[in-house]
Amino acid sequence: MHAVNGLAERLPDVLVVVVGTQAEAHLVQCLPAAPSPNLPPSRLNPRVIFAVLDPDDPPQQGLLASRTVESAAGLRGTRLVLLVAGRTAESLGIDAAFEARLVARKLDLPVEVVNPDAPHKVPGILSTDLEDSVLAALVNLCPKRRTSDLVETASPAKRGGLFGGLLRRGVEASDSDGGRPVVLLGGTLSPGAAGVVAAELSRAGVEVAGSVPGSGIGELPPLGEGTVVAVMDPNLTSAAAVAEKRGVTVVKTLMPVGVDGTARFVQDVAEEAGSRTSEVVRARSAWEDLGALRNRIRGKRIFFTGDTGFEIPLARFLADAGAVVLEVGAPQLDRRFLAAELQALGPDVDVVVSPDYRGQTNRIDESRPDVVISSPGLHLPLVARGHLCRSPRDFLEAGLYGYGGARRILELLVLTMERAETLDSLNL
Amino acid sequence: MKLLRGVYEGPQSYGILRVAASIRGVHALLRALPGEAYFRTLYGTRERTGEMAPVTLSPLREGADDSMAPGNLARDLSGVVRRHPKTEIVILARSEASLLSRETIPTTLPEIEGTGRTPRLVTFPWERPGMSETEAAELALEDLIQARMQDRPERSPYPTINLFGPPIFGPDAAAEYGEAERLLDMIGVEVNARVPLGANTGDLGRLQRAWANVLLYREVGESATLYLQDEFGMPRVTTPMIGAAGTGAVLRAVGELCQLDPKSVQRTIWAELACTAKLPWYARLEPPETFQNRRVAIFGDFTYPLGLGYALAREVGLEIIACGTYLTHLERDFLFHANSFTEGAFVEDDPDEVAARIEAAKPDLVIGTHLEDGVADSLGVPFLPLCPPVADKPFVGRPLMGYAGSSVLADELDSALRRTSMEPAGEAGMQWTDEALQEAAAVPLFLRGRARRLAEERARRQGSGEVTREIFLESRS
Repeated sequence: MHAVNGLAERLPDVLVVVVGTQAEAHLVQCLPAAPSPNLPPSRLNPRVIFAVLDPDDPPQQGLLASRTVESAAGLRGTRLVLLVAGRTAESLGIDAAFEARLVARKLDLPVEVVNPDAPHKVPGILSTDLEDSVLAALVNLCPKRRTSDLVETASPAKRGGLFGGLLRRGVEASDSDGGRPVVLLGGTLSPGAAGVVAAELSRAGVEVAGSVPGSGIGELPPLGEGTVVAVMDPNLTSAAAVAEKRGVTVVKTLMPVGVDGTARFVQDVAEEAGSRTSEVVRARSAWEDLGALRNRIRGKRIFFTGDTGFEIPLARFLADAGAVVLEVGAPQLDRRFLAAELQALGPDVDVVVSPDYRGQTNRIDESRPDVVISSPGLHLPLVARGHLCRSPRDFLEAGLYGYGGARRILELLVLTMERAETLDSLNL
Repeated sequence: MKLLRGVYEGPQSYGILRVAASIRGVHALLRALPGEAYFRTLYGTRERTGEMAPVTLSPLREGADDSMAPGNLARDLSGVVRRHPKTEIVILARSEASLLSRETIPTTLPEIEGTGRTPRLVTFPWERPGMSETEAAELALEDLIQARMQDRPERSPYPTINLFGPPIFGPDAAAEYGEAERLLDMIGVEVNARVPLGANTGDLGRLQRAWANVLLYREVGESATLYLQDEFGMPRVTTPMIGAAGTGAVLRAVGELCQLDPKSVQRTIWAELACTAKLPWYARLEPPETFQNRRVAIFGDFTYPLGLGYALAREVGLEIIACGTYLTHLERDFLFHANSFTEGAFVEDDPDEVAARIEAAKPDLVIGTHLEDGVADSLGVPFLPLCPPVADKPFVGRPLMGYAGSSVLADELDSALRRTSMEPAGEAGMQWTDEALQEAAAVPLFLRGRARRLAEERARRQGSGEVTREIFLESRS
C-alpha cells in the first residue's frame, strides 16, 4: 500500500485504482512517492484514483468496473490498469478478479489485480512487497517468447560454449544475437538504472533485449525459455519466481552495486548469456580510480538501520572499500534469494531482520557510528541525538548502479562527512 | 546625470523624517514644495497604525508675505509649537528644493503658551542637496542625541544596554527590536532604550545609563554610537545579529561587556539553540546536496546583506556568488566585510546595473530589495525580499535577527530551495515544434526567456513532451 504513489510515478502509462475504504485512500495520499525525510508529500498523481467504498453500503458487482472504465477514459495513454485491492475490499465483498476481467474486456487493456495484503513468504507489510507483486504481474504480461526464436538462438549459444572465449571476445559487440537475450528486472527506484546496467553489460559484449518495467507497458520484452533475467533489486523475490516459472534462467548473483558487485554481476550474466568476458581488468581500474575516495572512508564505522533493502549490497560494497559495517538492518530478507550477497558480506557483520527500532536506537547510541544510513522513521530522532544520518533513498536517487554508481556512493558519503565537519567547526 | 529605472534610497529629508517619526515627542517641520508632502501618506499606508505622522509641511511658495496661509517659516514653526504642546523637540528638515533656494532658517522657537517652556529646535546645518537618505538619517540621529545630552545620569546599577536598530518603515523593524530585547533579557541584560524606533525624547537623554550600545542596524546607529563611545566611553557591539552564529557572538560580547558569567550566557545560548534557533537544525537535517553548488546573489543595504551572507555561507553552506550594497558611502566597510565570504562583492546604486550583475552571476536564488524581484523573475529563480527597502507591509512583523529570525530564515530558505529542487531536471530537454518557435520569435527579446519557461512549464504540466504552438499560445493567454 505504501508504494502506490511511487509506483504510479515510476511506471508510466499505468492507472492505479486503489480499492478500499477512506482509510486506504488517506494513507496512500499522505505518503510521498519517495519516503525521504525531507520531501513534502508530492502532489496528487492523476494516475492514482481511489475507489472509496462505503462500509455500510458495499457496491454492486460490476459498479467498480464501470467506474474504473470511466476514469480510464479520461486519461490518455493508459496501457495497464492495476487494481490494488486489499483485505478491506475483500471483506466488503468486492471480487477484484471478476471486476478486473470486466474492465479488461471493456477497455481491451491488460488489468492486473494486486493484493497488498496477500500472505507473503516473509511476514511484514512493506512497500517493496507491492512493488514486487506489481513487477511479478508485469512479468506475466510480457509476451511469450516464440519457440522459433529459441531454436535460432540456441545454436549460436552452444557454439559459443564450445569454442570458448578466444573467438568470442571481439565478435560479441557487433554480433547482437550471439547469446541468449538478457532482460533486466527491477531498478525502478533509481533513475536511469536499466540504462546504466545495460551499458555496463554491452561493454562486456552482452546485448540487453529489454527491461521490466522498462519505458512502457507496450515495450515489454519477450520472456520465455532461453531468456536470461538479471535481477537488479534485492526485493523482487516473487517477480523472479514468476519469471522462473516461465522457464527463464534467473541469474542469482551480486546486485550490480559497487565495484565488486558490478564486476560479478556483469561476469555472471555474461556467462549465462553465453558470452565469456573477464571483468577483472575493468574492475581493477575502477577500483584504483576510487582510491582517493576509499581512503576517505577507510575505518569509518557505518550502521544501516534498514529501509529499502539495498542496505545489504551497499554494506557489502562499503565493507569491501574499507569501512567498518556495524550492523545491517533489513526489513525483510530472503536468505536464499540473497545468498550471494550475504556470502560476500561475510559472517562477521550482524544482519538483523525486521529490527526493533528501540533496540536499534540503543545500539546506535552505544556504538556511536560515524554515519548511520537510516530509515525515514528513525532519521529525525537520530539526527536530533547527534548522529550523522543519510537516507538510503539518497543513494538510490543519485544512482547507485554500475562502476559510476560506486563512485557516486562514495562521493555521497564523503560529502556527508565533510559537511558534518564544517558544521561542527562552527562557533554557534 | 544617470538614467535610472528606480532608486533604492530617498532624499536626505526622507531619512531625517524616518528617524524623527520613530521617536515619540519629536515633531518635524518639513520645508518643502507643496507637492513633496508625501511622507504623511506613506506613514499612513506603511505603518497602518491609524496614527498621524508627526510631520507638518511648511510649503515653499512664491508671493507676498502678508498672507496668513502656511509658508512663512517662522510662523509655521510657532504654529507647530502651538498645535503640538507635548512636543519636546522640533526639527526642521529641508527638502532639496528648499536647500537649493538658499533661504535662511530661524534658530529659535517661541515658548509654549502658558507654560514658559520652550521646545528644543534642532536644525541640520550639514544638509545639502544630493545627500542620501541613510547618511542623513544617521547624522540626524546623532544630532538628536547630542541635543539631549545636557543632563548626565548615573550608570544603572544592573547591566543595561541601548539597542540601536532600524527606523520606521523597515517592515519588521519593531520585531527586530523585540527579538533582540527578548534574547538580552534571557541573559540578564535589560534594555535601557530602543533607538530610534520606540524611544521618546526622555530616553535620548538617558542613554548614558546603559553599560554598552548594541548596534542592530549599523546604517543608522553608526555615528551616534561612535559619538557616545568617544564622549562617554560607552563600548559598542557591531556584529550583525543575523544567523545563529552572529546572534551568539553578539550575546557573548554583551555578556563580556556587562561582566556576566560566561557559562550562564553559554547556557542560555544552548537553550535557545535547542528550542528557538532552527537554522542550524535545518542545515543539519537537509541533505548536503540541497546546498551544494547552489549559488546565491544578495543585494541590499549594509547589515542585512552582510549578516545574511555570513549566515548563508558559513552556517548553511551556500555559495554566495554576489553580494552588493547600494550604500555607496559605506563602500570600504562593506567590501572589507563582504570579501570574507564572497568573491563577488560590489557597490552599486543603479538597479539596472545591479540586475546586470546578478544576471551575470547566474544565481540559483536571489535575496534582495523589492527592486530585485524582476531579475529573479527573468532568471526564473526563487526570490526572497529580505533586505530593505521592501514593498510588503505585514501586520505581523517577523524578525530576521536573533534566534527567532534564524528560524524565519530557515523557513524562507526551505521553501525557496525546495521549490527549485522539486523541478524536473530536464529543463533543456524540452522539444519545441517549428510553429511554436515561430510564435516565440515574435515575443519581445526581454520577455522571451520568461515566455519560454512558462510554455515549457505548461507543457510539462500537461504531460506533453514537446511545446506545440497551442501550448505556447495557451501559456501566453
